[in-house]
Amino acid sequence: MPQAASASRFKNILGHLLWAAFAILAASCLAAIAINHGERINSAWLVLAAACTYTLGYRFYAKFIAARVMTLDNQRATPAERLENGHDFVPTNKWVLFGHHFAAIAGPGPLVGPVLAAQFGYLPGTLWIIIGAVLGGAVQDFVILFASMRRDGKSLGQMAREEIGKLGGFVALLTVLLIMIILLAVVALVVVNALAGSPWGTFTIAATMPIAVFMGWYLRFRRPGRVLECSIIGFLLVVAAIFAGQWVAQSQVWATVFTLSTVALAFCIIIYGFLASALPVWLLLAPRDYLSTFVKLGVIFLLAVGIIFVRPELELPAFTRFTDGTGPIFAGKIFPFCFITIACGAISGFHSLISSGTTPKMIAKEQHAWPVGYGSMLLESFVAVMAMIAACVMHPGVYFAVNSPAGIVGATPAAVVATISSWGFPVSVAEMQELARGVGERTLFYRTGGAPSLALGMAHIFARSGGGQAVIGFWYHFAIMFEALFILTIIDAGTRVGRFMLQDLLGHVHPSLGRTSWMPGVIATSSAVVLGWGYFLYQGVRDPLGGINSLWPLFGIANQLLATIALCVATTILIKMHRTRYIWITGLPLVWLVTVTFTAAWQKIFSPLPRLGFLAQAKELQRALRAGAVPAGQMALTQTLIFNARLDAVVCGIFLALVAVILVDSVRVWAGILRGTRESTVAEAPFVLSRLQAEEV
Amino acid sequence: MRNLRAFCGVMWALLRELADENAYRRHLNMYGLAHSPEVWRAFADERAKMRYSRPKCC
Repeated sequence: MPQAASASRFKNILGHLLWAAFAILAASCLAAIAINHGERINSAWLVLAAACTYTLGYRFYAKFIAARVMTLDNQRATPAERLENGHDFVPTNKWVLFGHHFAAIAGPGPLVGPVLAAQFGYLPGTLWIIIGAVLGGAVQDFVILFASMRRDGKSLGQMAREEIGKLGGFVALLTVLLIMIILLAVVALVVVNALAGSPWGTFTIAATMPIAVFMGWYLRFRRPGRVLECSIIGFLLVVAAIFAGQWVAQSQVWATVFTLSTVALAFCIIIYGFLASALPVWLLLAPRDYLSTFVKLGVIFLLAVGIIFVRPELELPAFTRFTDGTGPIFAGKIFPFCFITIACGAISGFHSLISSGTTPKMIAKEQHAWPVGYGSMLLESFVAVMAMIAACVMHPGVYFAVNSPAGIVGATPAAVVATISSWGFPVSVAEMQELARGVGERTLFYRTGGAPSLALGMAHIFARSGGGQAVIGFWYHFAIMFEALFILTIIDAGTRVGRFMLQDLLGHVHPSLGRTSWMPGVIATSSAVVLGWGYFLYQGVRDPLGGINSLWPLFGIANQLLATIALCVATTILIKMHRTRYIWITGLPLVWLVTVTFTAAWQKIFSPLPRLGFLAQAKELQRALRAGAVPAGQMALTQTLIFNARLDAVVCGIFLALVAVILVDSVRVWAGILRGTRESTVAEAPFVLSRLQAEEV
Repeated sequence: MRNLRAFCGVMWALLRELADENAYRRHLNMYGLAHSPEVWRAFADERAKMRYSRPKCC
C-alpha cells in the first residue's frame, strides 16, 4: 500500500512538473513572437504558441468552468437521450460531434479576418486570436452550448426571451436578420473581388454550379442516399474544372467570355442568390453544401500539414506603421479595429447560433460539452492563426499591392508600387507581373477582400510542400475555388434563412406573409432579402475605397454585437444559477466586447476623418459637390456615395441601439436578482437520471 | 494499431455523419423502413427543411 501511495504521489508530481513545463513553453513561445521585432520569425513559433496556450486553456480554464461553474454532470440525461427521436435529438459520439460542430462554425470569417488584420503586422492579430479564443470565444460557445443543452436545445433568441425578457428575444431576432444582410453582402464582395478580371477563377466557380446540379440529380435519382460517393465524384469534377479553367484563361475567345467586371459579377451573384434561394434545396444547395463541407475540412487539414511541414518564415513585421489608423486596407487604429476585424477565430457571435442550434440536441453526455463547445472553438482559432501565417508569408509590398484599393494607392501599377514602396515596403511592377503570371492571372493589383492574398499565401505553402512553382497556379485557383465554394453556399442558405426570419417577423403584421408555402409571400420576402444584401454588395463594388473599408468593419461590429447579446444571456443564466461569484467568466469578455464594439461603432459613425467616419465621408463628398470639384460624369455616383455613407451610419447606429437595449434590459434583470426584488428562476429542464452508458456512444 | 483503427473508425463515422448517411440509417431503423429512392427523397427533404431554416456560420 505505501508503495502504491508513493507511486501515485510520484505520478502527481510528474504531472504537475509536465504541466509547469508546458506553461513555460507556452510563455516562451508567446514571448518569442512578442519580443522578436527586428528579425523575421519562423511561423513554427506562432503554431507552438497557439497550440501550447490552447492546451493549457482547455486543460485548466475550461475544466474549471466545467467543474466549478457549470457542474457538468454525466448522471444527468441530456436532451439527446431524453428526447431521442432519430432526427435532431440523437446521442452522438463526442468526437464525431466535435467534427460536426467544427464544420458548422468554420466559415470564411476566420480565414479572411486575419488576412485583413495583418495590415497591423502579425503580432496584434495573432495575440488577439489566441487570447481572445481562450478567454472569450471558446467560453461563449461553451456556456451557450451548456445553457441550450440544459434547456432542451433552445435557440439563443428563445433563451434571450425567457431569461431576459420579451424585448430581448425580439431584439435578438432583429439583430440576427440585420447581421445576415451585412454578412451576405460582405462575403459576396469577397468573392466578387477574387473573381474580377480572372477568367480562370470565374470559369471554375461557374462550373461548380452545373456540377452541383449534376450531383443533386445523381443523389436524387441515380444513386439516392450515396452522399459520400456523390461528393467524391463532385470533387473530382471540380478539380477537373480547375484544370479546364487554365485552358479557358489561355483561350482568346473563352477568356473574354469569362473576364467580368466587379459590377457584372455582383449582378451575377445577386441573380444567383435569388434563384438559388427559390430553387428546390436538393438541386443546388444541398449537394454543394456537402461538397463544400468536405473540401473545407480537407483544405484546412492540408494547410495545417503544409505549415508544419514547410514552417515558412513570416515576411510581414510584428507591427506595421498602420497601427496609427492610416492603413490602406481599412481605416482605423489598432484599438478597436483589430478586434472587430478578427471576429471569427477569436470570438464570434454567430457561433452562439450554432451552439444553440443542432449541437445541443446531439450531446450524449454533459461532459462532452467541454470538448465540443470549448475545444472546437480552439480549433477554429487555430485555423485563424494559419490564415494569419498564410497572409504573412508574402512580402509586405506584395501583400499591400494585392489588398489596397485604387482609391488609396493610385490608379496605375506604377503609382501603386511607388506609393507602397514609399511606405517602406518595396515592391516592383515586374515582381507583381511575375507573380500574376505564375498563378495564371492578368494582374494581382487591387484584389481587395482578403481572398486572393490568402489564396496566394496558401498556394505558396502548398507549392513548397510539393510540386514547386510549376503547380502554384493550380493551388492558387484551388484555394480560390475552396473559398468561393463555401461562400456561395453561405449566400444561398443565408438568403433562404433570411427569408424565413423576415416571414417570421412579417407574420405578426399579416398572417399570410408568415406562411412559407404562400408563393407571393415567398417571392416578396426572398426579393427583399436579396435586394437588402445586394444593395450593400453593389455599394461595396462601386466604392472607390474598395468596399471592404466600409463593409468589413460593419460586419465585424455586427458580429461582435451578437456576441455581446450571447454573453448577456450567458451572464444572466450564471446569475440565476447562483454563480454570481463566477460572473467574471462571461462578464469580462462582455465588458471588453462592449468597449470595443461601441468605440468602433462610434468612430465609424462620428469620426471626423473622412476615411473612417461615415458621416465625415458624406460631408466631404457633399462639400466637393457644392464646390464644383466633382466632374459632371461623376455627379450621380457621388450622390450615391453620399447616400451610402449615411445609410452605413444609420445601420451602424441601429446595431448600437439594438444592443444597448438588450444590455440595459440585462443589467435591469441582474440588478433585480442581486437586490432580491426579482425572482431568480432557472429555466432548466428537470433532472432525469441518465441510463446511457458511456460505451454506447 | 488498435488506436489507429479507432481513429479511422471515428473519422469514417464523422464523414458519414457530415454526409447524413448515419442520420439516414437511423431514420430507416427508427421507422423500420427499407432503403428506396422514395424513402431517401422524403428523408432528404425533411432533413434539408430542418438544416436550411438556420443561419450558416460566417
